[in-house]
Amino acid sequence: MPKLELSEMLARLTAFIRSEGQFDAVAIENFRKMPGGASREIWSFDCAMERRGETTRRAMVLRRDPGAHNISTNRLHEFMVIRAAFEERVPVPEVFWVSEDPAVLASAFFIMERVDGETLARRLLRDDAYSRAREVMPAQLAEILAKIHRIDPVKHKLDFLAEPGESAAMTEVKRYEENFRRLALEPHPAFELAFRWLVKRVPKTPRKTLVHGDYRIGNVIFGPEGVRSILDWELAHLGDPMEDVGWMCVRAWRFGNDQKAVGGLGTREDFFRAYEKASGAPVDPEAARFWEVFGNLRWGIITISQARTHIDGFVKSVELASIGRRTAETELELLNLIE
Amino acid sequence: MQDRPTSIELLEAAADFVDRELVPTIEGARQFQARVVANVMRIVAREIAMEDPLVRSEVKALARLLQHDAPHLHSLDDLRKAAASMGEELTAKVRAGDADEGDWRREVLAVVRQSVEDKLRIANPRYLESDIAIRKSKTEN
Repeated sequence: MPKLELSEMLARLTAFIRSEGQFDAVAIENFRKMPGGASREIWSFDCAMERRGETTRRAMVLRRDPGAHNISTNRLHEFMVIRAAFEERVPVPEVFWVSEDPAVLASAFFIMERVDGETLARRLLRDDAYSRAREVMPAQLAEILAKIHRIDPVKHKLDFLAEPGESAAMTEVKRYEENFRRLALEPHPAFELAFRWLVKRVPKTPRKTLVHGDYRIGNVIFGPEGVRSILDWELAHLGDPMEDVGWMCVRAWRFGNDQKAVGGLGTREDFFRAYEKASGAPVDPEAARFWEVFGNLRWGIITISQARTHIDGFVKSVELASIGRRTAETELELLNLIE
Repeated sequence: MQDRPTSIELLEAAADFVDRELVPTIEGARQFQARVVANVMRIVAREIAMEDPLVRSEVKALARLLQHDAPHLHSLDDLRKAAASMGEELTAKVRAGDADEGDWRREVLAVVRQSVEDKLRIANPRYLESDIAIRKSKTEN
């Protein structure tokens, strides 16, 4: 990865914001790298911007690509999708500026509003402080999802989003099967059974919409009152909206609260009903089940991929390494779902 | 022949230190990583204790399912290789559609479930226990 001295990075960032926002002066404080963000670097800072004697202060976040390897998504595209969501009143951080010019900060990045709150799902599920959030969030998440699926890609010029072809479901299954064949180091008969199950049950897709692509509790900023912001839009694409519904029901996001299928917070039935009410579109339980099975399989393939990132030496990490031993959890869930 | 403590006892001592002494003194991402380290050590300890009998019974079950003569293997390494190669053979049959329906599908599902549960006995026994409890409560209802 191209290394930039912290002081140099700060100077270039200040100059960038000043020129992009046509400010007379910009001052950045509390600039620091945030923990986590396995796929992107996250930097937090406070920004004071002066124009014609008036100063505005905003809490901001910089989301930057790490090095050159395994970058499969695009910061400009992610920026444009979040902006579209913001304009359609989906709760997302306000996005300010984006740059793909390596001369600025060595790799692509964008800058958005910093939304305060919690993201740790375990806290949401266990802490007393979030008992109200636990009650209201399943319905909120269903309503927000319905709003996301109503975003018009043509109106917002999101024409770069990949077309799913004839069958959004088949396209996704094939994509993950290719990843699986390329990455798996051992035979996984449970995954093979799941692939067979899926190709025989590909839903006839009545709707094609914008799909968030990673809609789960871990990508939500929440407070004691409920949802504050939806994060991580880099996997957004066009497809079957039920893909997001099924992904939300994947077992790994329940953190042991298995009697409540939707993120350990609520039942499928209540979530489907709230989504139907907000979207006006019926949820076909068979299609939702297809995408739930696909979601568990997809998460299983991601665990293999994260372990490979360690094994192949891209990123040496005990956390990534240990995820390789979580693949069996998804295999067991798949067997439960398809037997 | 090595002296006591055994490898398992050593790993458990190290994991206990990380969990009880180290984790309470650190915070945030490093605390999380430390918990992962302790968990990894406990996985390895369980693997040392249980891998041999588990892979032996897996090889036996796969041989029966694939109608092979039960191989007479002794070393752990040979057992692992036999499990992997029969796993590949099973995988090829599943991909060809042989387990899409019928009696053999039921046999395949039972053997695959057993292998997956055996992996969890080492990687995450608590997950396996809670899964068994959920399934039990579902069949009772």
